[in-house]
Formats: sequence, C-alpha cells, structure tokens
Amino acid sequence: EDVLLPAPQNISILSTNMKHFLTWSPVIIQGETVRYSVEFQGEYEREYANESWIPICECSLIAATVCNITEDISATVAYNLRVRADVGGRRSEWGTLKGFFNRITTSLTPPVMKVIADGYHLLVELEDMGPAFQFSVLYWKKGQENRMQQKVVKEVSSVVHLDTMEAGPDYCVKAQTYVEAINRSSSFSQTQCVRAQGGTSMWL
Amino acid sequence: TAGNKIFQFGPCKVSMSMTEIRSGFNAIKTNIQARDPIRTLSILSHPHSLHKVKPSDRCCITHHLFNFYVDKVFKHCKTEDSYVNRKISSIANSFLSVRRKLGQCHEQNQCMCGQESTEKMKQILGNYEGLNVTSAAIKSLGELDILLDWME
Repeated sequence: EDVLLPAPQNISILSTNMKHFLTWSPVIIQGETVRYSVEFQGEYEREYANESWIPICECSLIAATVCNITEDISATVAYNLRVRADVGGRRSEWGTLKGFFNRITTSLTPPVMKVIADGYHLLVELEDMGPAFQFSVLYWKKGQENRMQQKVVKEVSSVVHLDTMEAGPDYCVKAQTYVEAINRSSSFSQTQCVRAQGGTSMWL
Repeated sequence: TAGNKIFQFGPCKVSMSMTEIRSGFNAIKTNIQARDPIRTLSILSHPHSLHKVKPSDRCCITHHLFNFYVDKVFKHCKTEDSYVNRKISSIANSFLSVRRKLGQCHEQNQCMCGQESTEKMKQILGNYEGLNVTSAAIKSLGELDILLDWME
C-alpha cells in the first residue's frame, strides 16, 4: 500500500517592501525529485465563495521550495496559503500556513538614497521600489534642524531637485518610504550631507 | 504610485487601490467581455447611466454597488482559466476591503440613501435578475470599468 507522502512543513512568509514569498522545508525522498504546488485563499473566498482555494500556476509542480505570491496578494485582507508535495504519482496532504497573512505586515526598509551637490543644486537619487511606493524626503541646513523642509515624491523619476543651496553651509537629507495601500511608512534612511562647491560635485 | 485614491463622499472618506483594481480588471477584460454574448443589454447603464445619480446619492449607490458585486457577482464568475480566476479573486478581495470601509460610513450615517439611489439599485437588480445568473454575473463583471470610470 502506497505510503502517504508527508506534507510540507515550516511553511512561512517572507515579506519585505510589498514583495511576498512563501517558503517551506523540502520533503526528502531518497533518489526522487519532489515537486510542490501552492494555492491561496483570500478573505473573499472564505466568506463568499465556499472557502474555495485558487492555484498559483507559476508554482504548480515546482521543485523549488519558494513561491513568489506577490501578484496574488493584491488586497489588504487576510490570506490563507497552502502547499502540497507530489512525487512519482504519490501526493501529500496540504500543509497550510499557520495563521493568516495580510500585506499590512510587510516589513518596510529605509530607501536607498544618494544625495548629490550639482553646483548649487541639491539633488537626490531614489531607488525605484515599485508602484506601491512614495517617498518623503526631508532636507535642512546643518544646524537648523528646526527648519526642516519636506518633499513628497510620488513617482520616482531619475533625480529629484530639492533646493538651490547657498555656498558654505552643509545641507543634510534623509528619506523614508510610504505605502498608501497599507498606510504605513518605513524608518528614515541614514542622513547624508553635502555642500555646494562652485560648479563641481562635492561629497562629504 | 499604487494609485490609492481617497474618495470623499461628504463626511465619508474611503481609500481604495484603484490602480491595482484597474490593472486586475484590464488583464481579464477582453476575456470576460468575450464571454458575454448579449451586447444589447447593460446591467449598470440601463435605462439610465450612473452619471445621472445626484451627488448626494453617490455614496449610497457606491455602497450598494460594492455590496452587489461582492454578494452577487464575483462568486458566479468562476471560469476554467486559472489566470482569470486569480484576477477575479484579486478584484473581489479588494472590493471586500473597500466595502468594509463603506459599510462603516453607512453605519455612522455618513452614507445616506435617497430615493434616487434606491430606485437606481432596483433597476440594476432588475436588469441582473432578468438574465440567468452566470450570464448576468459575467456581464456585470465585464461592465466593471463603467463603475470605476464613474467613481473616478
């Protein structure tokens, strides 16, 4: 009689900056390649569609033990996720994520930022983190932290012009991300300071 | 950005990831509309367009329409196409999230229903029940952009 394949264990979510991955421990069967399939269930399916599950075809019979579920976690509601194993015609029970996953819990990291003094122009270059992200950029003259100015950047283009600097004082900048869909912000990046220097770029 | 829009209906403020919903819908629009053979009928726009609704009734009609889609439409739209089903799930779960916020407004009497919105909803349900449930659901889903355009 066929021994039932063990269900995948240690199922968990890695979610950073609105990118969500489901991972699990491999099911080990000597000399065999075990394959896995993933399904998800949103709050809508639980409450209005007979608790139906929806397969993720990119993660159907895959050998890897990770699945990118970002595209399917596209609402700020509680999701269930499950994985099962297949090998040589044998199939395991479903292993289900303990508890729900809601994208509101994603971890938000400070943005990668580069501050540039282009002559007397204070510029900042921000990493493009995807359509879900806005940036709040704070800048001030060193020593005048009480007169901080803010610029909200809704769409990352190449470089953002912040201010025209006076010669002499240092200008400091820090930034954080904001995700409207979940109404949360990251912590601030490290502060970077530059100083205007004639027409040449100057790093401190 | 993800195009979160804040919809202001008088005191009722509802934020909604409009771009996510639209991109989910646009990904399946052609597929869904191709499944709707009855071109001469509309669920949402017959006999009058949504644009006829008075501003004071906008919140209530929006609330009713989100209830309509969550309670009646999405569940009857299951297809044989896994990709289409995933996008419908994405829209349905987004609608569920927004409906909850509209419901809170309704409970706090910030989303009052006038005669016009009640009448309009009656027409929409009448149009819906005039067809068999799968055809009506698929047609309603295919008209989602009418609702989104009207909201925006």
